[in-house]
Amino acid sequence: MTLFHFGNCVSLAYFPYFITYKCSGLSEYNAFWRCVQAGATYLFVQLCKMLFLATFFPTWEGAVGVYDFVGEFMKATVDLADLLGLHLVMSRNAGKGEYKIMVAAMGWATAELIMSRCIPFWVGARGIEFDWKYIQMSFDSNISLVHYIAMAAVVWMFTRYDLPKSFRLPVTILLGLCVYKGFLMELFVHVFLLGSWTALLVKAVLTGAISLCSLFLFVTLVHSN
Amino acid sequence: MFEEASEVLENMLKWSLPLSLVLFLVLLRAEAAHEFSVYRMQQYDLQGQTYGSRNAILNTEARTVEAEVLSRRCVMMRLADFSYEKYQKALQQSAGAVVIILPQNMSTMPQDIVQQFMELEPELLATETIVPVYFALEDEELLSIYTQTQISSSSQGSSSAAEVLLHTATANGFQMVTSGAQSKAVSDWAITSLEGRLTGAGEDLPTIVLVAHYDSFGVAPWLSYGADSNGSGVAILLELARLFSRLYSYKRSHAGYNLLFFLSGGGKFNYQGTKRWLEDNLDHTDSSLLQDNVAFVLCLDTLGNSDNLYLHVSKPPKEGSPQHILLKELETVVAHQHPELKFSMVHKKINLADDTLAWEHERFGIRRLPAFTLSHLESHRSPARHSIMDKRPHVDLTKLSRNTKVIAETLARVIYNLTEKGVSGDLEIFTEQMQVQEDQLASLLDWLTAQPRAAQLLDKDSSIVHTLEYYLNHYLKDVKRHLVRADKRDPEFVFYDQLKQTMNAYRVKPAIFDLLLAFCIASYLGVLYLAIQNFGLLYSFLRRVTSPRVKQH
Repeated sequence: MTLFHFGNCVSLAYFPYFITYKCSGLSEYNAFWRCVQAGATYLFVQLCKMLFLATFFPTWEGAVGVYDFVGEFMKATVDLADLLGLHLVMSRNAGKGEYKIMVAAMGWATAELIMSRCIPFWVGARGIEFDWKYIQMSFDSNISLVHYIAMAAVVWMFTRYDLPKSFRLPVTILLGLCVYKGFLMELFVHVFLLGSWTALLVKAVLTGAISLCSLFLFVTLVHSN
Repeated sequence: MFEEASEVLENMLKWSLPLSLVLFLVLLRAEAAHEFSVYRMQQYDLQGQTYGSRNAILNTEARTVEAEVLSRRCVMMRLADFSYEKYQKALQQSAGAVVIILPQNMSTMPQDIVQQFMELEPELLATETIVPVYFALEDEELLSIYTQTQISSSSQGSSSAAEVLLHTATANGFQMVTSGAQSKAVSDWAITSLEGRLTGAGEDLPTIVLVAHYDSFGVAPWLSYGADSNGSGVAILLELARLFSRLYSYKRSHAGYNLLFFLSGGGKFNYQGTKRWLEDNLDHTDSSLLQDNVAFVLCLDTLGNSDNLYLHVSKPPKEGSPQHILLKELETVVAHQHPELKFSMVHKKINLADDTLAWEHERFGIRRLPAFTLSHLESHRSPARHSIMDKRPHVDLTKLSRNTKVIAETLARVIYNLTEKGVSGDLEIFTEQMQVQEDQLASLLDWLTAQPRAAQLLDKDSSIVHTLEYYLNHYLKDVKRHLVRADKRDPEFVFYDQLKQTMNAYRVKPAIFDLLLAFCIASYLGVLYLAIQNFGLLYSFLRRVTSPRVKQH
């Protein structure tokens, strides 16, 4: 029943996206094409990042098992390009803040889902061998959805001209956390030697915390006028 | 949403469809939990009679013998727990396959288990079965797979229905899959034999023939190393070739006998090489050493151990004949030079009604050539002659070199007529520069046992045949190859392929597990749906939390 397992993984990964799209009311605004455009921007940004990383970052030639903190930190810094990409998408869409955020985040996250999950599922989950990592990948994509929504919201807030002074610092901190979240996760796994399920849990908690903070700031900002 | 989706997708699909088709058509193999080599049990036809395991392909779940239901499953057994009853049980329940796990190093196994397995090997082969039987060498991962399977197999017959249900839903099973096709007969297999000679000084001389078969036999062809049977025979033959070629190279020691050395192939399959060689030499050739004066034929079979020595004959030698002289010389040499050796003659009549002949000398006996077989085994049915356990440690080098010396001294006494000339039995010829070189024997034996020498694996281009030919060429003259191919219409022997395959063990979960998982995922998605629907609640809560602050401005 391995095709069934493939179906399980795909539904676990994709359905939340579907539900979010339906329930956030984006369908009423004919936003599908805009989401696809956001996805295309994602592809372009990833391509640029890859070229940049390949050109300027040498391969790590140290001992196996030793984690190259500085190198990985520099690589994570390149992820700032993600922020630029999101900003680009949002600036091209006219509309309310929420609309822009949701469109950008949905398109971005869906593109990431298709690009990074489809092939592992098709090849791996469909095989005879069973492994828990496919279910874990599906959960991970759910977490990514929330993460990208939070990231888009923070980027939007950062670029607002009417952002109160007191909000600058928290927003910047959240922005930094969003970009370096991957790096922090790898750090935790390496230092505390977390198992795969524990790492997933930590990731979920971290993303939850970031998104709650950003939501809090967003609400305050929008309704302070 | 679907209308816009469809229109967008239509545009995209026009150029992406070919790309996605290519992508999805590539069915990449998932990685297995463990991949290992398995060696199949013998499968051959001899004179129309089929032996061994018929089938080769496999794609079944793994179980151990303790499980209740064994049909269409792959039954795994370890050598330490192996018994004939368990094997029979697996076969009777028409198991999908049997995999017997052997330890990497046989010397770690206690002797009685090894002995018991050696005795069981012919019985395993005697029952012709359609169930593929494999042998695998144990490593850590295979052992862990075995223990996991054992735990789940033995708990199947236990406790309550709920526990069983939970267990079947979450258990970790293994699916064993072999790559490779169904086994089929190998057509046109050539069994190679090698002969070489040392010509005596003079004309119309009698001939002494020395024979040893170089192939080995065991329950699995790829695991038959045949150290004692008949690696020892081959090593002795080659060492004798070296010693006598040295003797014959000096004019003064050039004896009045022709020496013909013969390394026969297919020995374990009823001496096919010898049979065809005799037919060709006696029926089809005008003149051959075998047609003229043959003093006797001495076959060497399993001489690498023990302090016993038996001379097997099919007809007791008559007084005054060259055969009788050999017998007497052997007794003399043993009595005077090696008193610890127990030597005796064993007389066994040739029984043509048997499926296979007992010893190699019987082939010569059928063609009215006087022949003996020298062996440390008393019976041809001894399990040591057909076992995969027969590896290098089974051969005792000192005893092998002592046996070589005994044979060399005896032959020298015969060809130089030493007893008639009154030379005492204590005189040792092969000493100092002419001595039997133990290092040579050791390296020959090490080389012979480094790879399996089953007849199915040695075709005429194999490295073993080439090396033997090269070695014989070094010491003997007129080294020739002799090929035996099975007759097309009524084959005496048929070999089958697919003797070595790769087996993959995949970790699988039972089907109920997928349903259980689907149920859990459905409930998770339901909860998520409700959460997203009611997201507005969280939003208004946060709003209420922040608004008192705003009102204060």
